[in-house]
Amino acid sequence: MASPPAFRGARGCVTIPPMIQPLGPSERERARALVQAEGLAFDLDLDDLVGAYQGGELVAVGARRAGVLKMLAVAPAHQGGSLLGEIVTELVRLGSAAGHDAFFVFTRPAHAPSFEALGFTLLATQGRAALLEWGDGLGRWLAASRPLVRDGANGAVVVNCNPFTLGHRHLVEEAARRADTLYVFVVREDRSAFPFDVRLRLVREGTSDLANVRVLDTSRYAVSALTFPAYFLRQADDVAAIQMELDLRLFARRIAPFFQVRRRFFGTEPFCATTRAYNAAMLRLLPALGVEPVQLERLRGSGEAISASRVRAALRKGELEGLEALVPPATLRFLRSPEAGAIRARLAAGEERHA
Amino acid sequence: MTIGKKAQAGTLQSSDLMVFVEPAAELTVEIESTVKQQFEHLIREKILEVLRAHGVAAGRVRVTDRGALDYAIQARVETALRRGAEE
Repeated sequence: MASPPAFRGARGCVTIPPMIQPLGPSERERARALVQAEGLAFDLDLDDLVGAYQGGELVAVGARRAGVLKMLAVAPAHQGGSLLGEIVTELVRLGSAAGHDAFFVFTRPAHAPSFEALGFTLLATQGRAALLEWGDGLGRWLAASRPLVRDGANGAVVVNCNPFTLGHRHLVEEAARRADTLYVFVVREDRSAFPFDVRLRLVREGTSDLANVRVLDTSRYAVSALTFPAYFLRQADDVAAIQMELDLRLFARRIAPFFQVRRRFFGTEPFCATTRAYNAAMLRLLPALGVEPVQLERLRGSGEAISASRVRAALRKGELEGLEALVPPATLRFLRSPEAGAIRARLAAGEERHA
Repeated sequence: MTIGKKAQAGTLQSSDLMVFVEPAAELTVEIESTVKQQFEHLIREKILEVLRAHGVAAGRVRVTDRGALDYAIQARVETALRRGAEE
């Protein structure tokens, strides 16, 4: 079938745009070719893959993984039309049906306006990458957090707490002393041995005696280097550094002003190279963005720094004794409870995905 | 008409809007629009008019608008309501 002309001259009849359709496994190689031709990486970590054909040729593709849209590519000859909007509409429709109400896209800054024209909001941008969101999830999350906002020179820590240890407690205490109100943002992303609701609860219980501390869910808007997919970047790009910068720009420009956060606190990191790099990025980038980074010395117990990974290592070996030197009473109670049985078993089986 | 399940209608294209409806105890209408500053009250009025016309008294209605005209708003909201209507 030959490609239909864009217009049918005298009859003045515009061609019907190609239908967006789901792509099956047999069409993946074509999708891969188009995605890669547009300079993006192709992967199969996805929930939906859709595309549009014209004249038997695949001219546009897009994919969705949970609330992230990715691998959006339109063949050069078909760019500038409505195909991108149609692909995104279909992915948003499918994602909404799957229960998501906000959608992220990572793209090059030059492409950000194409997404803004579809109703996306720019969350953060740096030299080589931009993060946009559709559905105003950030605005809704901030609005829902408004009752927790207190006037003052406030501070923030962003923590995973997998699980909450005496080291975290020390960090929160020290930070709370240096802020009018301290917001403890607990990373929501569920890629840790301890599920989010347990991590949040243990932080709440472990800090409930500190009057100026407020514990919040980060939703997806702070420290989710984990959630920032790198698919659209070339291998050579320093993906981790770009993700960290986007994360920090989003924090400093959109989150910190709302909570009147002037300082961001974090502990020195003896073990994890990624966390160390993230700390270095905070020290380098935050001052210019109006937030003062404050690095606090880690609490040490019997020589080594107290860390959640030490707690998990002990659990992995089935050592419940001696944990009281590492975790506060609420965490200890939980670790010894039947509720923690499944987590202990998972750790013992070595199924941990991420620290 | 009662909103019995989640449903959606419309597109992200210019001059169109996307409407989401879902069951809820109370009636709420959330509007996001490129022309929110100037026209939010008119968009809301139109949506409420369609909801009234269909006797919808409860549910969460979320709209992302790209400058749609009244008849588009009416059509999209009606479609979303029909799709989300309880059988």
